[in-house]
Amino acid sequence: MTVMAKRPLVSVVDDSESVRESLPDLLRELGYSVRAFSSAEEFLASDCVGETRCLILDIVMPGMTGPDLQQELMDRGQEIPIIFVTAQSDETVRTRLLAQGAVDCLFKPFSDTALCEALNAAFGVS
Amino acid sequence: MNLDRLICDEVVDNGCSSEGHIGLLPPPHRDRKGAAAKDQAAMWVGLGFAEVASKVGGLIRQGFPLPVVLTTLCQHFDATVHGCSSSVLLLDRAGTRVRSSAGSGLPASYMKQLEGKRVRWVETPFGATINEKTPVIVLHPVSDTLREEAAPAAARGFRLCKVSPILSVTGEPLGIFAIYQRESKTDYPRFQSAHIAQFTTLASAAIERMRGDEALNRSAALLERTQQLSSTCCFSWRAKTGEISWSKELGQLFELDAAEVPVTLGLIGTRIHPEDLPSFNEMIERARSGVSDFEFEHRLLLPDNSVKYLHVVAHRTRDQEGELEYIGAVQDVTHRRHAEEAVAKLRAELARAAKVASLGVLTAAIAHEVNQPLAGIVTNASMCRRMLGVDPPDIERARESASRTIRDAERASEVIKRLRALFCKKGVTCESLDLNEATREVVALSLSELERNKVMVRTELTGELPPVQGDRVQLQQVILNLLLNASDAMGGIDDRPRQILIRTERDEENRVQLSVRDTGVGFGPQGADRLFDAFYTTKSNGMGIGLSVSRSIIESHRGRLWATPNDGPGATFSFSIPSGPMTAAITGAGTLGAIRPSTATAAEQRHVRNL
Repeated sequence: MTVMAKRPLVSVVDDSESVRESLPDLLRELGYSVRAFSSAEEFLASDCVGETRCLILDIVMPGMTGPDLQQELMDRGQEIPIIFVTAQSDETVRTRLLAQGAVDCLFKPFSDTALCEALNAAFGVS
Repeated sequence: MNLDRLICDEVVDNGCSSEGHIGLLPPPHRDRKGAAAKDQAAMWVGLGFAEVASKVGGLIRQGFPLPVVLTTLCQHFDATVHGCSSSVLLLDRAGTRVRSSAGSGLPASYMKQLEGKRVRWVETPFGATINEKTPVIVLHPVSDTLREEAAPAAARGFRLCKVSPILSVTGEPLGIFAIYQRESKTDYPRFQSAHIAQFTTLASAAIERMRGDEALNRSAALLERTQQLSSTCCFSWRAKTGEISWSKELGQLFELDAAEVPVTLGLIGTRIHPEDLPSFNEMIERARSGVSDFEFEHRLLLPDNSVKYLHVVAHRTRDQEGELEYIGAVQDVTHRRHAEEAVAKLRAELARAAKVASLGVLTAAIAHEVNQPLAGIVTNASMCRRMLGVDPPDIERARESASRTIRDAERASEVIKRLRALFCKKGVTCESLDLNEATREVVALSLSELERNKVMVRTELTGELPPVQGDRVQLQQVILNLLLNASDAMGGIDDRPRQILIRTERDEENRVQLSVRDTGVGFGPQGADRLFDAFYTTKSNGMGIGLSVSRSIIESHRGRLWATPNDGPGATFSFSIPSGPMTAAITGAGTLGAIRPSTATAAEQRHVRNL
């Protein structure tokens, strides 16, 4: 339990079941503690917001979108590094999100290498 | 002999009338035959009546104006009766006023004085002759009442001695023939009443002819102007003799000079567009049998290779001999046709553009749908490889990952299947389809797009909806368009939920109806009329063609598409199409394009085949 507690928490917010099923397993394998949520609202309602060290966040979701959540967290003064993941490869969106402070924006499907690089960037590991 | 009356102070039988009477002579129109019979006896000096008549006729035919003709006539009379000058006073159409005068033997100032003068009834020579329709002899000295007409002439040395009415064939007063004696001659002029009758007959003929020409010219001018205004020309065709007469404008239209060549069907045939010639000939044959009026359109191919479109309407009638004759009008509809062609071409292009635009949206939706399971597949496969790479390999977790990979692949496969259902159709066909199923497919595909716009979609699809006949892809394009429109209409709405309700139902006439209800901005009363017009849009980035194309698709399915404002916010767009087995309109048509040759539909066909 104490060992688990040392692992940094990565929260996954994505409405795609495929992602929620597969990504947590890989993240745990990479050494993180993981929670998965199907919507931004669900994440905000959980007790993990303050604990989350990195957010893997889908852009397009019913209701509150990824960028909406990013804004909400900023408004709350919660600066969580965010890695956006999206099924719509749109470079202009990616550029805008990076400019707004996102660590990275990965287009689905992405490789585990790309994910590791993004996580390393989020956690400041060179 | 008619009742004689004298307009004078005193009755003086001075024997001036050849018939031994002083007073009124029989009106020429009542005794024309008698007058004509006396032609030979009543020779004018120098020229016989026939010669004068022929000369006057010649002047008329040559197009000399009426005053010239009448003046010439007066000159002949003056030459005949020594010591006399005559004039003709033309009356207006009502026969109450002097319109103009002719005759060269009288002072112009006096003639001028008479113009515009009202012809007074009974009391004056002019009035009496018109009122009684008989010649009147004026005896002198004249009374006060006569002074008005006679005195001014007398002051100039001319004594009015006889007036005679110029009457039309039907007895209407056309003018007055007035004879004056030059005062230098003291003897009362000697002339025969037959002379006057001949004169008035000729004058009457000239005036009537001129008036007829005038009316004819006026109506011809009116016709010509009307033809120009309406770009219409007219013709007549006697089927039996093949005799064709046509207006100058029609000759110009055919670029044939009708004045030089007799117009024949053969000649017309040289101008008919070769492709239209068989149908033209067929129409002529049918018309020749005299079955009915006819109406058709054909093209002309002119010598300079230009093409004109003509619309011909002809009415069947009988000529004076009872032979079949067609009276017709030809309208040059080239401009209209060109405009129609331009509009059709534009619509086709717009339909294509609309298709491409909605395909762009669809492509993004497809990419989104496929990338989700692909992301799962890649992540699971990575995980699986890692589990196999550890020492010892974690077979159990590797198997789990592999299973999830398979499941995601199946999900991707599902998306592809839906796409196949949507696009992999052979051409555009008319098939029996379930509108509910078609709707569900569209909703599934557009869900991500709608979610991105924060729109919630709810469906109320009536069970046991009867199948409809139509083209699945086209109908799905309409549904998609309505959905995206509804979504766009709610783009700026933040004070209420962005909701779309898609509902299917069956109406009383067993038609299948689909409606898309939104909570968007709706449309005002002004917008309602224009919603379905091409290019009408309320969106800053819209082209305004989606609804226009949608409507043409629904109409090609014998249905209708309409919009109604909601009681609350937003609008509802609905369409209904007939259900049930194929009807005569579709049977045998095979494709929708054949049901209704709408350009948009034709363009859709081409496009869908290219997919």
